[in-house]
Amino acid sequence: MRLLIKLTLRSIQRHPARTILSMLGITIGVAGILALGITNQASMQSISALFEESSGKVDLMVTASSDNQPLSEGTIRVTENIAAVRVVLPIVKANTAFADQASGGGLELSFLGMDSGGFLLHGVNPVLEPLARDYKIVEGRFLEDPLEALEVVLVESYAQDEDIQVGDRVEVLTPNGVERLRVVGLIAREGPGQINNGAFGIVPLNTAQRMFNRLGEYDQLDLLLTESNSSQALEEVRLAIQRRLGEAVSVTYPAGQGQRMSQMLSNYQIGLNFLSGIALFVGAFLIYNAFAMTVVERTREFGMLRTIGMTRRQIILQVISEALVLGIFGSGLGVLMGILGARGLAGLVGSLLGTDLSADLVVPGGTLLLSLFVGIIVTIIGALMPSIQAGQVSPIAALRVRGRSQEGWITRSGWKFGIAGLLVSTAILLWNPFPYDPQFILGSLTVFLMFGGVTLMIPGTVSTWEKLSRPLMRLIFRNSGLIGSRNIGRSKVRTTLTIVALLIGVAMILVVRVMTASFSQDLVSWINAYIGGDIYIHSSVPLRADMANQVAGITGVGAATPIHYQNIEFMAPGGGLEPLTFMAVDPATYTRVTSFIFSDSNINAQAALAELNDGGALFISSVIAEKYNLGVGDRFWIRTNQGLQDFSIAAVVVDFFNQGLVVTGNRHDLRRFFRSNEISTILVKVDAGVPTADVIANIEQVYGKRYHLSLESNETIRGNISVLMDQAFSMFDVMAVLAVLISSLGIVNTLMMNIMERTQEIGMLRAIGMTRGQVIKMVLSEAGLMGVIGGLVGLVFGVLLAKIFLTGMTAMSGYRLDFIVPLGGVITSLVVALVISQLAAIQPARKASRTNILEAIHYE
Amino acid sequence: MAVLNATNLHKFYQLGEFQIKALNGVDFEVEAGAFVAIMGPSGSGKSTLLHLLGGLDVATDGDVMLTGQAFSELPDHQMTLTRRRNIGFVFQFFNLLPTLTAEENIQLPILIDGGKPEVFQSRVDQLIDLVGLNDRRDHKPDQLSGGEQQRVAIARALVTQPAILLADEPTGNLDTKTGKVIMSLLRRSCDELGQTIIVVTHDPRAAAYADRVVFLRDGKEQETLKFKELKDLSERIRKIMGIMEKMEI
Ligand SMILES: Nc1ncnc2c1ncn2[C@@H]1O[C@H](COP(=O)(O)OP(=O)(O)O)[C@@H](O)[C@H]1O
Ligand SMILES: [Mg+2]
Repeated sequence: MRLLIKLTLRSIQRHPARTILSMLGITIGVAGILALGITNQASMQSISALFEESSGKVDLMVTASSDNQPLSEGTIRVTENIAAVRVVLPIVKANTAFADQASGGGLELSFLGMDSGGFLLHGVNPVLEPLARDYKIVEGRFLEDPLEALEVVLVESYAQDEDIQVGDRVEVLTPNGVERLRVVGLIAREGPGQINNGAFGIVPLNTAQRMFNRLGEYDQLDLLLTESNSSQALEEVRLAIQRRLGEAVSVTYPAGQGQRMSQMLSNYQIGLNFLSGIALFVGAFLIYNAFAMTVVERTREFGMLRTIGMTRRQIILQVISEALVLGIFGSGLGVLMGILGARGLAGLVGSLLGTDLSADLVVPGGTLLLSLFVGIIVTIIGALMPSIQAGQVSPIAALRVRGRSQEGWITRSGWKFGIAGLLVSTAILLWNPFPYDPQFILGSLTVFLMFGGVTLMIPGTVSTWEKLSRPLMRLIFRNSGLIGSRNIGRSKVRTTLTIVALLIGVAMILVVRVMTASFSQDLVSWINAYIGGDIYIHSSVPLRADMANQVAGITGVGAATPIHYQNIEFMAPGGGLEPLTFMAVDPATYTRVTSFIFSDSNINAQAALAELNDGGALFISSVIAEKYNLGVGDRFWIRTNQGLQDFSIAAVVVDFFNQGLVVTGNRHDLRRFFRSNEISTILVKVDAGVPTADVIANIEQVYGKRYHLSLESNETIRGNISVLMDQAFSMFDVMAVLAVLISSLGIVNTLMMNIMERTQEIGMLRAIGMTRGQVIKMVLSEAGLMGVIGGLVGLVFGVLLAKIFLTGMTAMSGYRLDFIVPLGGVITSLVVALVISQLAAIQPARKASRTNILEAIHYE
Repeated sequence: MAVLNATNLHKFYQLGEFQIKALNGVDFEVEAGAFVAIMGPSGSGKSTLLHLLGGLDVATDGDVMLTGQAFSELPDHQMTLTRRRNIGFVFQFFNLLPTLTAEENIQLPILIDGGKPEVFQSRVDQLIDLVGLNDRRDHKPDQLSGGEQQRVAIARALVTQPAILLADEPTGNLDTKTGKVIMSLLRRSCDELGQTIIVVTHDPRAAAYADRVVFLRDGKEQETLKFKELKDLSERIRKIMGIMEKMEI
């Protein structure tokens, strides 16, 4: 054992540079897992904290199941009479804006969970409210009795941004015009102060009800229970209250809201986990690199040790214990780096969520131990194959000059199995994309099989790649390129792993590009139809029903059509009520301003529109159609004010409003079934030849001030949408680029190892007249070839993966997306692969060019 | 006429407080077509001298002139080009690129010089003939024996028709019989191609193939043997052994 430790430390000491290089792998891997772990935890915590703090000590909350049936005094009374309920806090919520703010509201776009916000007012009971939530007053005072005072409390940060002081009067837009409220206090942006990102204020309950015509109506009841029960008892109370209040309301836990939001993050989480997987993979293979090299180098030493009686097991143990030492040091270092790295990552995710995560950055003990453990295990796994090879060294090897690693079965004929594996797994995935949970693991395994297939394909084909790329290499690097790229076939396992790391990064870029392109294409065609009008009119207060007709009378306006979005519920074919948006249109004017995109282009549009106009019929979105397997002629059940009502499906249209959970009906049905005559939006078509800006000015002049209209042109909205889309996808782009960067470390490491291994050879080449510049080209060409293979294989792999993801997404969500491979993405991924391979090779190449000739050819 | 001319060569190494005088004033002249062997005890400075003559290292004092060009006046890049075009090297180990075939290894200097190997095919063929590796030209180094590898190295060193061929212990790693093959190959290159050759060796049987044997000791020339008239190899070996005994090598 003593001897073991001694030998281990010696051999680590002997190659400090290599030790550091291979440790770097584990270090980055561990740092990656930990940083992601910390950030994930922090973002989850921040989200749930946001909801927990903002809901304070509230045990349960009661909300209406749909917009059109708000909670009533009756609900409060029933709730108050339940024994377990101690306090009921009624809340009225209103979205509004300040009168002096130029652009209130705007198009309410929610794309991948990002929305453009507004100002949120809560009407609360000033006496009861402090029982439930801790408002931290930083200036002025909290609301006081009476319940109808014209007072408001704002969030400090928001007030500062808007330059509002305590004592000021602010003008708030209401359906009845402008209401003036006095700012009596400011609260800190913590706890409930985080609601709506601080664009939030509280007013007395009755004031809110009066201002927004909501007398006797409530949006939410927060409940404090008599004693803080166990979670099991709490669930019983929740069910009891739910039974008492009936189906019209839902009784939930406050944190339940946070869960919805965290779903939005899960997309990113999958990406981030993918990234830490790559970091680990690279880490494992850097270790493999280092040890494979040590073993070849020390063949004589191992042979000698075997000659003097060391068993195979002892040799294997010796190599493994070396790995263990490296693993412990490297992982330890990784933990430090991970903690630092988490800060940067938190900044990135934080900006995505619009919150500051740095306060939540605590190092979770479990994750810390896990990452350490994983680091050490991965190190040992990486060193396992080399250590077994070391154990196989025969005593006679001591007599030979140099050990030569033999080409294994895998490098020779693995590619056949690789291609087979790739084909089989791709076929399986395309045939059945395993969208749902029980099959998810199976699906992941199949994706893993794909990776395995690609990995196996590489070693057997590198020499073919080398031959094919000769003209290119000669063109770029001259003859040095021919000599250098020949080296690719030498350390096949190492080269293969490097290429695989690179190709994963390239594939990620391509997947992101294909997804973006496929999404955009559908989205753009929908947007073009959706905002087929030239001007979009919106107000932060409800518009009167005849507004559209009035707007139609303005000079320059060709046609105007009213639209209303009503949040409702429908009966899913599987059973159960699910939320949905009912878009009420006036078919006659609607078609004069814009048009529907019918999924089936052969449909009789005229007949469908006539059916919609007659009432009792709907256009459903393609998303709903696919998700529930519905089509024209089927029945669709909606919960209305008159109970469940069935509509016939007149057409399937492309519409991604509310993530596609939308149906289109006519305004008569809105009035009839939902007793609403409101307008959310007016779409305007401008007369031919009249500049849109002029028409906007006209409308603004006539109605703008009076009705607090905000007008946006088609172009502005399209611009906004594409910005939102870019934001959503840029995060994935960032992840893909990070993956490529991590893989570039693999290239650096592999080339460094190659160069160290070939010192004598490089010395010989320099001696017989190779210039430093030629040595550099030689190394660059080897890296370049890795880039070419990684780039091209990654390209194919990426296209396959993207196809699979798209198929899977269609199955899961009902989005029917055309598969588009953008040329730009193809070029980007190839260029990135080549450029990264060259950048990563610069340092190794320079090191090679500085090889000391005499030291290299020195032998004794 | 002298192809190579080294005057007053010194090479000192500083090891902490100690100064090692690896070469301590060597004058050396080699005529075109000559075949010179350098002998001497281990550590006497043979390799150091060869490295200086080949422009692989820079002298502490003194200078080397190859075909009229002083090494001290050549910047690093020019020195590299001189090595590439005017000097051939054969080392004891690490002579070949394992990724290239025997023939491609012989073409290596042409490749490095940016030339097209096809243009020089007849010369390459001639050299493959000379070293007797016609049936081995497509073999990779690891499919060749040590002697065959050295033969490829010699052909490689000859392909550019260098002004001088330098070999450091080319037979050091070979058995006696193979060593003989290598040395007679060098001998033939000298006789048939007029190649100027300097060989460092500690083996009197190898040195006997040369026309002149220079003995080094402590970084200085100690003795010189000239074999112009003496053709008999064993007689030459006897003479070399005599000097070695005298020098207590
Ligand atoms: N890089 C070096 N640093 C220090 N001493 C060296 C170096 N190279 C050679 N020497 C010393 O110079 C002397 C001559 O070495 P060398 O020319 O290699 O001898 P030979 O080839 O005759 O055996 C030896 O004492 C050797 O130890
Ligand atoms: Mg020597």
